[in-house]
Amino acid sequence: MIFKIVGCILIILSSTLMGFYCSCELKSRIDDLKELRKIIMLLRGDIRYGNTPLPEAINAIAKRHDGNFKNFLVKVSDSLRERLGNTFSQIWAQAVEKELHITSLNKRDKYQMIQFGEHLGYLDKEMQLNTLDLYIAQLDEEIRELSETVKEKTYLYNSLGIMAGIFIAIILA
Amino acid sequence: MEEKDELLKIFSMKLRMTLGNMRINFDDLQEIRLRINCPLIINYKNKEYFVSEDGSLVTDPLKGVLVSKNEIKETMEYISNYSLYAFEEEIRQGFITISGGHRIGIAGKTIIQGNHIKGMKYISFINIRLAHQVKGCADKVMPYLIDEKNRSIYHTLIISPPKCGKTTLLRDIIRQVSDGGPNFQGMNVGVVDERSEIGACYMGVPQNELGIRTDVLDCCPKAKGMMMLIRSMSPQVIAVDEIGSKEDLEAINHVINCGCKLIATVHGSSLEDVKSKPVLGELMQNKIFERYIILNNIKSIGNIEKICDAAGNKIWG
Repeated sequence: MIFKIVGCILIILSSTLMGFYCSCELKSRIDDLKELRKIIMLLRGDIRYGNTPLPEAINAIAKRHDGNFKNFLVKVSDSLRERLGNTFSQIWAQAVEKELHITSLNKRDKYQMIQFGEHLGYLDKEMQLNTLDLYIAQLDEEIRELSETVKEKTYLYNSLGIMAGIFIAIILA
Repeated sequence: MEEKDELLKIFSMKLRMTLGNMRINFDDLQEIRLRINCPLIINYKNKEYFVSEDGSLVTDPLKGVLVSKNEIKETMEYISNYSLYAFEEEIRQGFITISGGHRIGIAGKTIIQGNHIKGMKYISFINIRLAHQVKGCADKVMPYLIDEKNRSIYHTLIISPPKCGKTTLLRDIIRQVSDGGPNFQGMNVGVVDERSEIGACYMGVPQNELGIRTDVLDCCPKAKGMMMLIRSMSPQVIAVDEIGSKEDLEAINHVINCGCKLIATVHGSSLEDVKSKPVLGELMQNKIFERYIILNNIKSIGNIEKICDAAGNKIWG
């Protein structure tokens, strides 16, 4: 009997934690998107006022930035300096695939990032700024949508976790 | 060697291999030309060559490496540091200066807005002119430029046909005037480098040695730049390349009235030739310039034909 009770408690505990994890992930995705938005804003500033080339601008941001995106930025600016025959969009896409595991960005976010990278670099300044603006607007929209639903969703994940735990425990018991 | 690696980094991978295999002295390399779907051409020791895949120089165009569209695109990406937008102004002018001071001329389809060239797309032709500094090429002329009585230098005009080394000579004169010599105190020199040819600035830093007392105003229109330098940096000498427009005349008068010395260059083959030009003729009649250096390329590039004084009398050569 005692084992059954301990088992039930463990099941309920783990599924509750699972629910919490999901809701935490949601919150950190918002944080990451906000961070990304900040980086793009900085990039935009450098391009708009300083006319700075991308490797320099990204390197400068990498130095100032101290968060989840640091590795990503360092990787991009290093590869850009190596000049090993890859285009900017290839380098950018590779870094998105490889260096963003520690962030909570989902597949769609990464896909959008890669798409954004395809339009960087070769256009004139005006188009460049438009591309950056468009991406910032996209991020804004994403962040807004997420923030609106975050409360409901955290509540949902948390309670779903607990409920699922109890449900499984009852069935097994 | 380091310079060579630095230069090769602007080429696409394939061209980098080919050019890297060339067993030549890069100091004598003058030009590299890339044209879409045409063989790669280099100008080496004043002769034109094609380059075969293994890096040997050939004279048969069929054996030369062909340059593809992608190679031009990749090369442009490296030249512009993946950021063509940062070179909008330069592209409008048709050339980009890169680290090392090399000038990259580009041509393609221009985008026109109103009467102005707004930009360029489909860049298909690239011409890389390698910057070579010839230190000491002004040694011969320096004694004639120093005005020992006034502890200064003379107003000097360098006259030369294109490609005879007038900018190279001007650059070395600037360096020597700025650094000074054993019997001559260095002077503050202001350089207005309209086309980035004298100092070949990369991100504001001159890639050619211009001396320790030199200030460079890069990519600035000459007339405006000369006035600006006088106001801001109080130079003792002002150096400019290729004068000739009406605005230049006004600015030059201003420079001379301020007590600055002027070193300038102009396209021309002889004193008489320059005298017949509208703006310069006037300056010469007023005996503004005290020394004329006339160059030709009969013996070699940068050969000094003669040096004349204000009246046009030969004092050397």
